[in-house]
Amino acid sequence: MKHNTNPLGAHRRNRWLFPVAVVLLVVAMAGCSLAGYVHFSWREMWHSPIFWNLRLPRIVLSVLVGSTLSVCGAAYQSIFRNPLTDPYVLGVSSGASLGAAVAILLGWQAYRWGIGGMALLTALLTVWAIYRIASLGNRLHVTTLLLTGVCFTFLMTAVISFLMVLHQDKMDSIIFWTMGSFASASWSDVLILLPVAVVGMAVVLYHSRSLNLLLVGSEVAQSLGVEVERVKRSLLFFTTLMVAFAVSGCGVIGFVGLTVPHCVRLLVGSDNRRVVPCSLVVGGFFMLLCDTLARTLLQPSELPVGSLTALIGAPLFIYLLYKNKRSY
Amino acid sequence: MTDAMIRIEGLGHRFGGTPILHDINATVGHGVLCAVAGANGCGKTTLLRCICGLLHPTEGRVSIAGRSVEEYSARELAQTVSFVRQHHATDVDFSAFEIVQMGRNPYQSRLQNESQADWDIVEQCMKQTGTWHLRFARPGRLSGGELQRVMIARALAQQTPIMLLDEPTSSLDIAHQFEVMELLRRIVAEEHKSVVIVMHDLNLILQYCDEVMLLHQGSILYHGGVDEGLSPERVAEVYGIEAMRHSVEGRPHLFFSKLSR
Repeated sequence: MKHNTNPLGAHRRNRWLFPVAVVLLVVAMAGCSLAGYVHFSWREMWHSPIFWNLRLPRIVLSVLVGSTLSVCGAAYQSIFRNPLTDPYVLGVSSGASLGAAVAILLGWQAYRWGIGGMALLTALLTVWAIYRIASLGNRLHVTTLLLTGVCFTFLMTAVISFLMVLHQDKMDSIIFWTMGSFASASWSDVLILLPVAVVGMAVVLYHSRSLNLLLVGSEVAQSLGVEVERVKRSLLFFTTLMVAFAVSGCGVIGFVGLTVPHCVRLLVGSDNRRVVPCSLVVGGFFMLLCDTLARTLLQPSELPVGSLTALIGAPLFIYLLYKNKRSY
Repeated sequence: MTDAMIRIEGLGHRFGGTPILHDINATVGHGVLCAVAGANGCGKTTLLRCICGLLHPTEGRVSIAGRSVEEYSARELAQTVSFVRQHHATDVDFSAFEIVQMGRNPYQSRLQNESQADWDIVEQCMKQTGTWHLRFARPGRLSGGELQRVMIARALAQQTPIMLLDEPTSSLDIAHQFEVMELLRRIVAEEHKSVVIVMHDLNLILQYCDEVMLLHQGSILYHGGVDEGLSPERVAEVYGIEAMRHSVEGRPHLFFSKLSR
């Protein structure tokens, strides 16, 4: 008898993840709107300028950044065929940090786009330099790209350390920026990141089947009809742009981009047509959760969100790894 | 005389300054099972990679069905030529079914998912290669031979008129070597595909292939029928091995005795 469904249907793992994550994200966005130093009820919320001008943009920005980093992480891990790659591997974060450090030293905090603008500029310049070095004619040499990215990261970090030693009075501000925070989130931050993130995520989703083939190998992908160089270039261009915009808006928040795609993979398998959308939602949800805890646990003071992502994420990730190992 | 499916004209290739192939001229027609043989490092794999567009030859050109390979888009080429590599990634978390399903990629638009027709083709190709029972297994859990047959199934799922295979029988036991060759023979006979296969077992070539292309030091020493091609003299020239040819059950068979150089 002929089957009339996908023969792997019964073996498709955890199909509940995507719808459940979407519902959780919506519920969490609503719930996190109420949490904070200033308490108000549902009814009061709609009339509260704190909700509209502070809390909501912060919630939206954290979801957006979490989704962006996770989607980029998922894409990078497939393009580079390396489970250790995270969205910062190409030196975007170190470039942005150097720009931010310079802006802080120049006292540009006073300007609205002083730090963010400078961070974006240096992030893009760094990545441009790295691409130039790793390109040979029309081809992009992936290993050179990764190694150049790592070298630039070390170089930039070294320069930042020097700057901090020379200007110890500004050390706190620089360190705080590099740890990442959504404390100064505003609607304008959201509006700057949103179009880049939407277009970038659409591009990654559009190429998600090609990402599966790239995961098996560039040559295999090419002989199965993928324009490998073109797809890689377009994916790397858009993902780098997304990461640069995300980092310059809120600093370097680690761990999310590395582990969310892995956690999702452990739950749904490696098919990027499922990994990418699930990472998008789970990444947003996870970042929102971490940021809400960061601003409420020790209120009125704030915890660095970057350390909370690791504090919550690492044990969860280790548990999933352990559980997955036992299921074999 | 059959139409040329693959036409190679004045093909040469260098890696850096080292010449690998030079002045290769050959045609492979419809419904032909053509073996490429020669000593290690003589350029067999390079030739295959030039034919399927993975390498751009430094000299000459390759035409597929009358059009230069360079003129094909990746998708068109993947609908025309399938390529089974010698080595395969085993560290991927895809089931054998999903891997064979990837062979349908050239026929799908980007946002399109696999259809029932695609799944039927995948099932048929896996059954043809005796891998249907392995459909849920991951590559890391398959033996070398099983993985090789899964990859042949993926190439079949591409439904291309031309198939290129790089040493598909090298990791198979004797029975599976015969099975793969029988399968390729059947495909050539029934579906009229042109199959080019790199292999080392000259007796399998004698038994199953229509043509043999003997490569020696980067150029073609002989291209034509297997019976005339695989003489003890040519074997000695290409491999430096003394060989004798006898008839076994009415078929020519080569026996190798010792190094002649």
